[in-house]
Amino acid sequence: MTLSASAHDRPGLGAWVAEQSGAIGLAAIVILLWIVFMSLAPGFVSSFNLFAISRSVAVDIVIGFSTMVVLATGGMNLAIGAIGVCSVMLAGYLMQVQGWPMATALAAALFLGGLLGWINGFAIVRSGVNAFIITLATASLFMGGMLILTKAIIYNGVPPEIAAFGRLRWNFVSPLLLIAIVIGAALIVLFRFTTLGREILAAGANARAAELSGVPVGRVIIIAHTLSGLLAASAGLMLLTRLGAAMPSIGQDWLLPSFLAPVLGGTLLSGGAVSIVGAALGALLVATIRSGLLILQVGNFWLQLFLGVMLLLAVLLDRYRNVYAERRGLGRRT
Amino acid sequence: VSFRQRVLSTEWSALAVAILIGFSILSLLSPAFLTEFNLYVMLRSFCVVLVVAFAQMLTLAVGQLNLSIGALGGLVAIAVGGMMEKFGLPVGLAILIGVLIGVAGGLVNGLLTVRTGINGFIITLATASAFEGVNLGITRSIPFYNLPPGFVAFGTERFFAMPYLLIPPVIVAIALGFFLARTVPGRYLLAVGGNAQAAELSGIPRDRIIILAHALSGLLAAVGAILAVAQLGSAQPTIGADWLIISFAAPIIGGAALTGGHISVAATALAVVLIVLIQNGMVLAQVDPYWVEFMLGALILAAVGLNRLRAIRAGAA
Repeated sequence: MTLSASAHDRPGLGAWVAEQSGAIGLAAIVILLWIVFMSLAPGFVSSFNLFAISRSVAVDIVIGFSTMVVLATGGMNLAIGAIGVCSVMLAGYLMQVQGWPMATALAAALFLGGLLGWINGFAIVRSGVNAFIITLATASLFMGGMLILTKAIIYNGVPPEIAAFGRLRWNFVSPLLLIAIVIGAALIVLFRFTTLGREILAAGANARAAELSGVPVGRVIIIAHTLSGLLAASAGLMLLTRLGAAMPSIGQDWLLPSFLAPVLGGTLLSGGAVSIVGAALGALLVATIRSGLLILQVGNFWLQLFLGVMLLLAVLLDRYRNVYAERRGLGRRT
Repeated sequence: VSFRQRVLSTEWSALAVAILIGFSILSLLSPAFLTEFNLYVMLRSFCVVLVVAFAQMLTLAVGQLNLSIGALGGLVAIAVGGMMEKFGLPVGLAILIGVLIGVAGGLVNGLLTVRTGINGFIITLATASAFEGVNLGITRSIPFYNLPPGFVAFGTERFFAMPYLLIPPVIVAIALGFFLARTVPGRYLLAVGGNAQAAELSGIPRDRIIILAHALSGLLAAVGAILAVAQLGSAQPTIGADWLIISFAAPIIGGAALTGGHISVAATALAVVLIVLIQNGMVLAQVDPYWVEFMLGALILAAVGLNRLRAIRAGAA
């Protein structure tokens, strides 16, 4: 479902289908790929592989959300990986070295994520400089700071409950997926039903117009970045349960997936529109392809090429779908 | 206008002062700093970074950006290494083909950006992943070690403190300065970056100029990669993996605006000198290597903040 700044009730099934065409098309591609992989490799739907997919897609979804909330304001956040790893390392340090109880340590890690995101937002709004440059710089600042403080060691003495939670299985689904879905539901509520959510979208659609209609654009952008940092920290902590140790290498390969999920899902780079279900489907598509290529033993080496080409195809397709929809006079996208 | 005022009004005066101060401090504090070998080490690490910074500067000039410089560089590096080791091609031919691969990659970026009208950020993010995928798919992360001795020697030999490796970057810098200041396409490039609409209305072929900027960016990424292969003495698939931050750091510290139209070859080169100087100082002081990454981020923020202050002052005056 695409939520945009100007989304109001459009009557008729046709209009609804046009508006949801992105998500429906994406779901169709995912289903098609599942059928292909299932017929090529029966091991694809083994309960072990389904569990593995559910764990990795859960993290990918939250990483995608983290980028999505800043894309909504028309900005971007290249520091997601750096924020994620800073939070994870803090959690590892507090639990292993300081002996903090798990809940407090995880809360502190989430707080750090929010704080680092707030720093990004504050720097962007106060300096008036492009979010790209600010977050590129803070990414290297956060990463460097983390490495200086931790000396790049691995905290593998975290409480065993953490790894146990990561291994927990409900039949063939990881509870991590439930966490991702709960976060997604909260985001739907935020963007659909709250003033803040509408203000974030309004600021992204047209900052000047939003400012003139009384939206505190600067504050809204700072909040979006804080939220992005919080989500990045959440994704990091979810990965921590999967790995069972706080590693400084976490987050280094997040840049591409963080953009893939929301962009495949129809979130616009120019801001003003988000699609939470779309981002989740986008993450599912990426996880499906990754797992399918792995099972078919195509090898990890070609995966990068596939993901890059897929991102290109997705944006091209989106482009022509819009042109087509406009010609047919169907739903107009903002 | 006195000489002093003219110097102060140029953008890179602050950079030049910072470099002078850093140079003086390091030569006073560290006896190892001014040795012939250390100067050679510094000049040698200057080479690749300078060309990579220029590669990004050209896309910034037209208001675009290129996230694929490192991935394209890595692809060119292993292509050149592979052609020399596996196919035994002569060095000159391998370099020529490598440069052509760079131009082709840049053309792909430019054509996709212009034809689709999609944000260059997403296009180059996608092509970066594709280039890297081809690189890893071909090499399986295994470097090419057996390169022609003459080629490797070029990367290590020196004339007193002057590494031969410095010759290509200096030629590139001079050519680029001439291109941007004195040639029609160069002026067009800056005009498109300054105001794309106005440029188009004055009859400048905007799309072709953006494609040109991307193609040149790919060309320079290839030159940087070939220099890196010569410097390392082997074609590593990881070449370019750490170029992203430095490629943006140098032009931006040199005062380039992300909105385009505002770049300076001299200021970018001075920014690279400053970065190399600080890196060298950290090595001499035996600081944790992680400080380099931290310092790059801080330098970018400081430069951006300073530019902002200057803009506010200029607006108030």
